[in-house]
Amino acid sequence: MTESLRRVAIVGGSRIPFCRSNTMYADKSNLDMLSAVIDGIVTRFDLNGEQLDEVMAGAVMTHSRDFNLAREAVLSSKLSPLTTGITLQQACGTSLQGALTLGAKIATGQIESGIAAGTDTTSDAPIVFGNKFAHRMINLSQARTMKQRLAALKGFSPGELKPVSPTNGEMRTHLSMGQHCERMAQEWQIAREDQDQLAFDSHQKAAAAYDAGFFDELVTPWNGVSRDNNLRPDTSLEKLSTLRTVFDKGPKATLSAGNSTSLTDGAAAVLVCSEDWAAEHKLPVQAYLTTGRSAAVDFVNDEGLLMAPTVAVAEMLQRTGLKLQDFDFYEIHEAFAAQVLCTLKAWESEEYCRERLGLDKPLGSIDREKINIHGSSLAVGHPFAATGARIISTLAQILEEKGSGRGLISVCTAGGMGVCAIVERP
Amino acid sequence: MKETASKNTIFKHWKLSTDIDNVLWLSLDREGESANSLSLEVLSELSTVVDDLETNAPAGLVLQSGKPGSFIVGADVREFDDYEDAGLASDGINQVHRLFNRIEALPFPKIVAIDGICLGGGLELALAFDYRIATNVEHTRLGFPEIKLGIYPGFGGSARSVQQAGAYNAMQLMLSTRNLRPGAARAMGLVDELVGPHGSLRWAARRAVKKGRKSRKPGQLKRLQNFAPVRTQMARMMRKQVAARANPEHYPAPFELIDAWERYGDDPQRMMAEECDRVGKLITGPTSKSLRRVFFLMERLKAIGKQTDTSFRRVHVIGAGVMGGDIAAWCVVQGMEVTLQDRELKYIEPAMKRAKSLFRKKLRDPNKVNGALSRLQPDVEGKGVSKADVIIEAIFEDVDAKRKLFADIEPRMKPDAVLATNTSAIPLDEISSVLKKPERLIGIHFFNPVAKMPLVEIVYDKKSDAAQVARGAAFCGAINRFPLPVKSSPGFLVNRVLSGYMAKAMSMHLERNIPIEILDKAATSFGMPMGPVELADTVGLDVCMKVVTLLGGESSKREAALLQEKVYAGELGKKSGKGFYVWEKGKPKRADNDSSQYALEEITESLMQPYFEACKAVLAEGIVEDADVLDAGMIFGTGFAPFRGGPLYYLKQKGAEQ
Repeated sequence: MTESLRRVAIVGGSRIPFCRSNTMYADKSNLDMLSAVIDGIVTRFDLNGEQLDEVMAGAVMTHSRDFNLAREAVLSSKLSPLTTGITLQQACGTSLQGALTLGAKIATGQIESGIAAGTDTTSDAPIVFGNKFAHRMINLSQARTMKQRLAALKGFSPGELKPVSPTNGEMRTHLSMGQHCERMAQEWQIAREDQDQLAFDSHQKAAAAYDAGFFDELVTPWNGVSRDNNLRPDTSLEKLSTLRTVFDKGPKATLSAGNSTSLTDGAAAVLVCSEDWAAEHKLPVQAYLTTGRSAAVDFVNDEGLLMAPTVAVAEMLQRTGLKLQDFDFYEIHEAFAAQVLCTLKAWESEEYCRERLGLDKPLGSIDREKINIHGSSLAVGHPFAATGARIISTLAQILEEKGSGRGLISVCTAGGMGVCAIVERP
Repeated sequence: MKETASKNTIFKHWKLSTDIDNVLWLSLDREGESANSLSLEVLSELSTVVDDLETNAPAGLVLQSGKPGSFIVGADVREFDDYEDAGLASDGINQVHRLFNRIEALPFPKIVAIDGICLGGGLELALAFDYRIATNVEHTRLGFPEIKLGIYPGFGGSARSVQQAGAYNAMQLMLSTRNLRPGAARAMGLVDELVGPHGSLRWAARRAVKKGRKSRKPGQLKRLQNFAPVRTQMARMMRKQVAARANPEHYPAPFELIDAWERYGDDPQRMMAEECDRVGKLITGPTSKSLRRVFFLMERLKAIGKQTDTSFRRVHVIGAGVMGGDIAAWCVVQGMEVTLQDRELKYIEPAMKRAKSLFRKKLRDPNKVNGALSRLQPDVEGKGVSKADVIIEAIFEDVDAKRKLFADIEPRMKPDAVLATNTSAIPLDEISSVLKKPERLIGIHFFNPVAKMPLVEIVYDKKSDAAQVARGAAFCGAINRFPLPVKSSPGFLVNRVLSGYMAKAMSMHLERNIPIEILDKAATSFGMPMGPVELADTVGLDVCMKVVTLLGGESSKREAALLQEKVYAGELGKKSGKGFYVWEKGKPKRADNDSSQYALEEITESLMQPYFEACKAVLAEGIVEDADVLDAGMIFGTGFAPFRGGPLYYLKQKGAEQ
């Protein structure tokens, strides 16, 4: 333990290319992908057989057999089997939260090194029997006499066999993420054209980054795939504008498949540590994880489901004394183009900042040129738990290439939460 | 696990430890070798281990490899040459049989835990155990390569594999020398349990010992395959299948195996006795000797491709013609990302189509095919040049066009990228002189069809940078080809030798009126995979014409003229349906010539004479490093009769006999 807080170094990240669900990763499991990205870190930073203090990782869509996912991934990886693996989950905020938690432990001297990672696949869905049939099976297995067995089978109807697959929606509202965001878009009056433009820009910027070699170290080919297959460098605003809306068929609907993230499979990881540990292992530090904040909104009582980042960022800025404009780069997770635009509009809105965030004046506008400069989730895809690690890795590399600067990360999550963080390179 | 210290001090290659369940874990970690093979010393130590196991029975025995990712690759081929006498070889084999029989008879659960390559003698040893567990991963393979070495499985494999997998599957496995993936081995019954990438081989083995697992023997249907009348029928079919690929006179091993099985297939004891006898004779015979030599030559070429540790990720191919397109497709199949450049997209499209067929054929799984397609990018603007680790030029044979191209790309290349030309006709320095750093340019000369021909000539000249040559060779290794360094000279090695061979055939046809079928027969009876006329038609008479003109000079004027005549008449050979032969469904229509009229041996000798002369000349001129590497080139580049060990080796043997 230390007397004073230490800086949290980000050495760098590694991920596998992301694929749309039920394409090239259709037969891969979360365990396969998470082990692969941990090995990506091992290979990139020469940590074969090393013992790290902790791996913090998780997945949103998991099988019950993956209850100990992070630890199992460590055992399947090239790290020393003496490395702990902690499985955690905060919907899409998982790997960012993992990094912040490791960061806090590093800062206070509890640990020296760790990997924050996340994985998700919607191709390998944990499909189970419904409750009624599951309980019937349990009763049957506990039955000892013929009478008990018959009692367990009493009342069986074939309908019980209908499998239950996981849904991407809120259990309290029965609406999907997209349907909630559609309501947000209508509330904030976000135009379809603006959403399509943001999506288009994301694809263009990501494709340009690939061509320029920005992702060469960050993305390691895996399972025959070398590039995110959701990427559409040849799409056009015209094509995007013709797509029909998918979450609402009414005249005010604006969210389409083009300006919403697709269901994606993939994983990402990032290596964080103390400066001493980095120096011992002769690893250069790309940037530092300065601070972070989580917040939640009362979406059940009609707050916008995906508006929580506005609160988290506001609170973080208050605590650090920084202004919204004091950043050189902004990495805002593009769950939906509308979500990003709602967030920006909210920060610009005097009323919202006063009523909801309790501020004297609006946080203000952000220079759009500084947002997601190499594209984001709409282009590369969004395996839920992996996005946080992907974003930290991208931002750290951007700052390293620039030489110095400060970046803001903002991620919205299911359940009405938001996680944000500040990454800096002095 | 407590180490049994006294045992460990005796053994060089084996490690033993007993755990709290009193299970003995027996690890093979052959001293001083990167892979485990069953040398005499290894087997002798194993015999000592078995002595002890027979007196002090543990609760169970697990056999594993002490070399991570690699099990046992077979017997030690290097020791085969030590056997001069068939009788002594048979005795040696008998000793191994007795050892494996003793193992089989041990009265406690015996499990094998396999991770990595498990071939030949390694698989035979595993078959003497009760139960086999293998990791279901990419680097695990099982099979019997013995026939490639001129023998057949002689450590009990011909008996035990038939008992375990059923006659048909076992025989096909031994005859084809295919390596099985773990899933296929399990389906066949050679492996009993698979452990996935997230499983533990150790704990699976432990469970198997605890449960006293034994492998299941094949069912009724498979056992029927071993009934005498069934064997007779199957043996006939197998002989026919093998004879289509290998002449029994030249390659006796598969026929000995079929023979043994036909007679005694249902009697494992007898099959083993036959192994002693037949394999003993085969191992000391000339074919096996030559095939062992071929094996070592292959290892030599592979080693040339392993000199540097460089990894190659991106390849840029310029020229999407037959060669360029196929080179690009092959690199993608091997996992690389390739950009394919040509003047316009319409010239690249046919190559993309052919690539798709190759991917479907080789990769089969639609997801893998899609992955491959995403790794092959058409690139009209040449954007791939600046990111490529390897750049291969395969445009048409025009020295000015090539010079212009290279001058254009040199400033855009990565500083350590490999720069290569696929030219077969233009001397290296005529192209490299346009570069600011001419020492960077090497030749990487592929053969057609790229996906089937394992040899690649790496061309260098006096100016070439040795490090670049090594990296070019390493690239070939990375795409699973055998690199053969050759000095820049007309025809390098392969084309030079072949052009003389084909020209001679044509001259014998013109001057002595020998029918083309007879010429081809003479060559195939010598052991060449394809006669010279069929070869000419297959390569394409237009290509032959250019090569013969370029390399033949004055002495081949008549032949060049004959070729020219055919080319102008549109008779280009296989690709146009007619050349010297008429081609139907990819096969040449041969007239029924009575070969007894012709002195086949004399024809063969005349035919092969320029072949051998060219080989000797290439060696004398120092175009290749030595005779062995030349032999390797001719075997893997042209299929020169492997059972003869290579052209120069053959000449040496012949000279020694005389």
